[in-house]
Amino acid sequence: MIKRFLSTITFIFLIAFFITPSSAEKIYLNITSPGVKKLPIAIQPFIGAKDVSDIVKADMMFTGLFDCLEDAAQIERPDQPFTVMSWKGLGVEMVVKGVVTSSSANSIDISIRAFDVTDGREVLRKEYTAKRDILRQLSHMIANDIYRILTGQQGIFRSKIAFVSEKPGSRLLYVMDFDGDRMRSLGPRAGIMLAPRWSPDGTKLLYSSEKSRKWGIYVYDINTGTELNTNVPLSGLSIVGNFFPDNRRFVYSSSRDGNANIAIGNIGGTAPRRLIATPWIDVSPAVSPDGNSILFVSNRTGAPQLYISDIQGYNTRRLTFEGNYNTSPAWSPAGDMIVFASQIGGRNQLFTIKPDGTGLNQVTRDGNNEDPSFSPDGRYIVFSSTHDGSKGIFVIRANGEGLRRITPRGFRSASPAWSPF
Amino acid sequence: MRKFVTVILAVFMIAALIGCAQKQAAAPPEQPVSQATDSTSQQPGMSTPATPAEIAAAVKEIETKIGDVYFAYDKYDLDDKAKTTLKSLATMLGKRNVSVAIEGNCDERGTKEYNLALGDKRAGAAKQYLVSLGIASARVSTISYGKEKPMCTESTEACWAKNRRDHFVVPEAGQ
Repeated sequence: MIKRFLSTITFIFLIAFFITPSSAEKIYLNITSPGVKKLPIAIQPFIGAKDVSDIVKADMMFTGLFDCLEDAAQIERPDQPFTVMSWKGLGVEMVVKGVVTSSSANSIDISIRAFDVTDGREVLRKEYTAKRDILRQLSHMIANDIYRILTGQQGIFRSKIAFVSEKPGSRLLYVMDFDGDRMRSLGPRAGIMLAPRWSPDGTKLLYSSEKSRKWGIYVYDINTGTELNTNVPLSGLSIVGNFFPDNRRFVYSSSRDGNANIAIGNIGGTAPRRLIATPWIDVSPAVSPDGNSILFVSNRTGAPQLYISDIQGYNTRRLTFEGNYNTSPAWSPAGDMIVFASQIGGRNQLFTIKPDGTGLNQVTRDGNNEDPSFSPDGRYIVFSSTHDGSKGIFVIRANGEGLRRITPRGFRSASPAWSPF
Repeated sequence: MRKFVTVILAVFMIAALIGCAQKQAAAPPEQPVSQATDSTSQQPGMSTPATPAEIAAAVKEIETKIGDVYFAYDKYDLDDKAKTTLKSLATMLGKRNVSVAIEGNCDERGTKEYNLALGDKRAGAAKQYLVSLGIASARVSTISYGKEKPMCTESTEACWAKNRRDHFVVPEAGQ
């Protein structure tokens, strides 16, 4: 999906030759085990373009899984051939070397090699060719390849975050890289806009907009760069919601009948279908990644709590019992975790809980936080927060570590949503 | 026989009208939605269009005499004071040929989506009460702004109380 996205936006030209390592089975860091210890590695400054290796290094550091050996502590120069003896005493497990050359004015070639210090052998050799203006995306791609060698898992370094910029009087749909770089407006604007949600295939964004006193649900098509209408009538309050796995249907909350109920809408096609209707507020529905359950917020016991029903809206059970104001829920991409905001002392803090109601865990402790969204690998959570006094987008690891601001201070922004891989 | 034809015709006309109304409700989102300002003369439930003087008088009366309706935290039920305010609004609507839009608002403590649903309930509660007082439903529209358009931006109880409100505007005045 991301390749398709880029081809429309920047027209990329990229070829990658992959020399498969002889044994790709070795996992250097088992990130699925709890309390994992940081793996020491060395990413040497790439010859010809240190900015590329700096991005790769920043990506690796972002995960909190690796310790990158400082350049000054390295004995072997980047242009010297890899020698086990230069690294053994430094305690690093893997060494990455890169050479960046330019074959023409606007094209670059990057050659990457990674070495296993313990086994003393090459585990990755890969060559990339790309246009110079996509150097950043290419650097993230290199980071993904290294991450895969080290962990056996897919990296998130080419994922994106959609969000809403909150300028006085107008809200704009924005997208940026996962690290906050390359921030740009996609075009759609509204008086109030919230909750952009990615389609599972990453080609569409579903969101709610208030325009001239009418709440509507719209879809932004990433490939064509256009705003599409849905079959949701401009009547009452309509708020998404997220897509079903089919990338066409979506759940949303509608007060068309005078009260916030949960319904299923469509990009075009048949009329919306009402799913959950009670005299109470039923809002913020989220279809599980497998398409079998609906998570939502209801005040049916007097205060907002999370509930889960089946896909027909039946067999509803209450999920949260701690706290008296639990809202803003989202599923992890694997469907094994739910993140939500719980009000403590007038401020909203993020918590995670398993879909069976066990394993409640507090993620944030400061500021006012809401609209959490999991990264595609489920390891990180993006959310909006007033953590340091200026409302913006922040990322934290799902275990509550590594809080960092993504959008610049003073750039008022909210409603972030992390893209698929 | 003639009576029968008239009845048939009337039925057809009503059906056609309902058809039109439904079509309008399902209009695609890119349609202009400022119908309230464009079609004052066709406002249902009103016999004659409001004059500019009447509209201005209605706006002034809302702003200087009637005011807003306020709510308790996370609540959307109307207390006695709220009902008194709405009664004076109904009296005004009885005198003047204008419609009213109710804007439901919340304080900043809740989360975005739930607050929008709450603001919607607050606006809906006021509308329901106005209708119970005899105001035609078609003359009263509602919109929720949740916590997105606060009138007071400090994080104090005094400020939050001011933001937990239904605000009334007159669409004919271009508000």
